[in-house]
Amino acid sequence: MVSADDEKLSALLRQGRDSPPLPPRFQEGVWRRIENAATVEAGSWLDALAVLVLRPRFACAAAAALILAGALLGARQGAQAAKQAAQARYVALVAPNPLR
Amino acid sequence: MSRSLVIVLGALALGAAVFTGAYFAGQRVGAVCCANPADDLNWLREEFHLNAAQMARIRQLHEAYRPQCARMCALIAAKKTELQAALAGQTNVTAQAQKELTELGELRAQCQAQMLRHFLAVSRAMPPAEGRRYLVEMEKITLGFHEAIEQSMSPHPGHEQGSP
Repeated sequence: MVSADDEKLSALLRQGRDSPPLPPRFQEGVWRRIENAATVEAGSWLDALAVLVLRPRFACAAAAALILAGALLGARQGAQAAKQAAQARYVALVAPNPLR
Repeated sequence: MSRSLVIVLGALALGAAVFTGAYFAGQRVGAVCCANPADDLNWLREEFHLNAAQMARIRQLHEAYRPQCARMCALIAAKKTELQAALAGQTNVTAQAQKELTELGELRAQCQAQMLRHFLAVSRAMPPAEGRRYLVEMEKITLGFHEAIEQSMSPHPGHEQGSP
């Protein structure tokens, strides 16, 4: 419970405290700090991405996905190339260029 | 350059390298697995889903056709040599060169007819649907060669002589 004496004491203390003078170019400094904070916010997505990339679980999953995708795509291309080569070999046997 | 940017760019480069490496490794594996250089007819079996009996029949036809094909190739090569000799040093097409040209054309036509007969025989040894597909594919590859040349020689629409 706050008594009437406490309130009086608080008022006296407030009156007795001197507010210090503001440093020179205080307002400009405040604005600069606000702007810097905004810049850090804009760059934070890159920081967040870097943190994500460095996370072992994410790095392993991404590497596995890339290896799987690359290997599957490569195998498909390789199989198609082999099929085309086999077709060309057969055609060259049954229909050599002079006959066409 | 900020540290985060370096990390992200490094991760992208590493990812690209991993993907490329996996792609080329997969390509090599795919090429080795699907290739069978020992068998010239492997493509037929794979492409037209042929069983052992059909393959045996086609192999028989193929082996019978190859010497005929080689003989016609040799005849055409000899005729081309004769034609070149007839054309050598001439400023116009002589009667001899004309005769060689005609004979060369006849030989080529005989070859094509023989080739088509072989394709028809092979297609009959396949299941009907696959046989039709084989025939279309072979005609496209063999006769399409001349069609491409003839189409390139035909006048372009709108460029006919005397057209308004």
